[in-house]
Amino acid sequence: MIEIESLSRHYQMGPTTVKAIDGVSLFVDKGEFVSIIGPSGSGKSTLMNIIGCLDSPTAGEYRLSGEPVAHLSKDQLAEIRNRHIGFVFQTFNLLPRISAVENVELPLIYAGIPPRERRERAMEILKRVKLDGREHHVPNELSGGQRQRVATARALAVRPEVLLADEPTGALDSKTGAEIVALFRELQAEGVTLIMVTHDPEVAGQGKRIVQILDGKILMDVPVEEWRP
Amino acid sequence: MKLFKFREALAMSLRSIASNKARAFLTALGVMIGVAAVIALVALGNGAQVSVEASLQSLGSNLLIVYSGQPRGSSLVRRSTTSIVPALTEKDLEFIRSLPENLVVLATPESSATGQIKYENRNTSATVVGTGIEYPSIRNFHPIYGDFFSDLDLKTRKTVAVIGAQVYKDLFEEGSDPLGQKIRINGIGFRILGVMEEKGSSTQDTQIFIPVSAFQRYVTGSSNYAMVNIQAADLDLMRDLQRIIEDELLKLHRIPNMDAADFYIANQLDLLSTVQGVTGTFTLLLGSIAAISLIVGGIGIMNIMLVSVTERTREIGVRMALGAKPKDILSQFLTEAIILSVGGGLIGILLGVLVSWGASRFGGMASVVSIDSIVLAFGFAVVTGLFFGGYPAFRASRLDPIEALRYE
Repeated sequence: MIEIESLSRHYQMGPTTVKAIDGVSLFVDKGEFVSIIGPSGSGKSTLMNIIGCLDSPTAGEYRLSGEPVAHLSKDQLAEIRNRHIGFVFQTFNLLPRISAVENVELPLIYAGIPPRERRERAMEILKRVKLDGREHHVPNELSGGQRQRVATARALAVRPEVLLADEPTGALDSKTGAEIVALFRELQAEGVTLIMVTHDPEVAGQGKRIVQILDGKILMDVPVEEWRP
Repeated sequence: MKLFKFREALAMSLRSIASNKARAFLTALGVMIGVAAVIALVALGNGAQVSVEASLQSLGSNLLIVYSGQPRGSSLVRRSTTSIVPALTEKDLEFIRSLPENLVVLATPESSATGQIKYENRNTSATVVGTGIEYPSIRNFHPIYGDFFSDLDLKTRKTVAVIGAQVYKDLFEEGSDPLGQKIRINGIGFRILGVMEEKGSSTQDTQIFIPVSAFQRYVTGSSNYAMVNIQAADLDLMRDLQRIIEDELLKLHRIPNMDAADFYIANQLDLLSTVQGVTGTFTLLLGSIAAISLIVGGIGIMNIMLVSVTERTREIGVRMALGAKPKDILSQFLTEAIILSVGGGLIGILLGVLVSWGASRFGGMASVVSIDSIVLAFGFAVVTGLFFGGYPAFRASRLDPIEALRYE
């Protein structure tokens, strides 16, 4: 599913080169649930941005479903984000002025799905994340947990192969955070590949595989059973 | 697919506009005022032109005047002919009258002098005009009460007069009947036949008309005329007619060319085109002032759109993360700018037409709304939206999704 080989992302900041990612190799199979952990500034967000095709590596290879995507154009990257990747953000990033169902429809608009089908699919997915009855509320009228479920529904709308979650529980209390992670586990059971960045060991432990990053390098990559936080 | 994308961009823009109506209104206000100003001011300019042309036509239609002396600018507006030696002869007049009907409809001589007018114990000064019976038709200036003098009066050198409206006011009590009353012009008694309509111009209303034959005998003693008024058959043939008369009169006066001539001809067509040139410039000036306000309106749109793009940086980031391509973002913001400017333009058209109508209805100003100005102003508004909305939209589309998502 995801094949990353000796991948680097360097930033030039004046005279110094910042090595946000420095020669990382990572292989994720379809249906895995990977937790990426590490302190802030370790490069985990940069790695997530590259996996999510928001950023391009400065060196190395990245193949998504066998397709090399490391050096595609902006438009091609946008298309891959739209079709193959779902994003869940720490702060939800729902558009505040439109309703839950309209938020879920957003990626479908860019996928060119006609309005009627769009609405049907969005309603269906909202039902899947147990938000039926809340479809026409704007984000402000929803609780944090509900908003993150809307965001998850939006990420799932185009039926992507990979769901990327960047600190999905960071803005939630532990109970609702646990609910979201439980939802992720259900999705994984349904065959979605999940990659989650978190600094919370409790949340990370819900994944099936733990990847620890420090200073742009992978420090540890173990199944959760072998992990000692 | 293209149409589908456009519909999506349209729907998104409409939603975004609807979610911030007050700001959308203020943004469009600049274009609204600009378009309204262009339409209203051009309408007023056109109205001025039309009313000037109309008042020119009221001097008489297809008017051509042969003056004695050298020209002092081309003008049909009546000037004092009292100081000019009358140079136009009976022969000149006969020639002009002999021209075919498809050139000359009517022609009449005119000479004038300032005279002291007396009625009973009242005194006034007036311009005594000796002319023919064709004068009222040619100059579109008719008696409102009583009659103009007749052909018989002319042939018999009758001492009869038709007085101007102001002369009547100066000499007679309001409401009193002047017909048949005797006035004295430079001491000679004339019987009043009629009173001319009021033209509102002091030069025209202080005239007294008497048969030119009586004028020659009792006022000047000269058998020449100061002017000949001609009504041409066709506006388009006026310049040809002018040339024919010039050529023949030069021959009759034994003068080699017009530079040395003791007469000159002014025609309404020339005056009309001068006036049209002046009012055209006037309209252009008003229009360009208004166009500047349209540009200012466009800058207003750019301003707000830039603010809007900055404000919605995070939204742009989210949309990009969800698969929006740069051109999707571009078309979304560009569509929004165009909707604002087109909407503003449409309201502006309505406003401009309303203002022009109000100016003529309540302000007493002539206004003529032209389709040209509507099309021009509206087109300009659309181009303004494209141009001034283009830059903010382009900036939005070039945002880096990671930076945009991180934007607070």
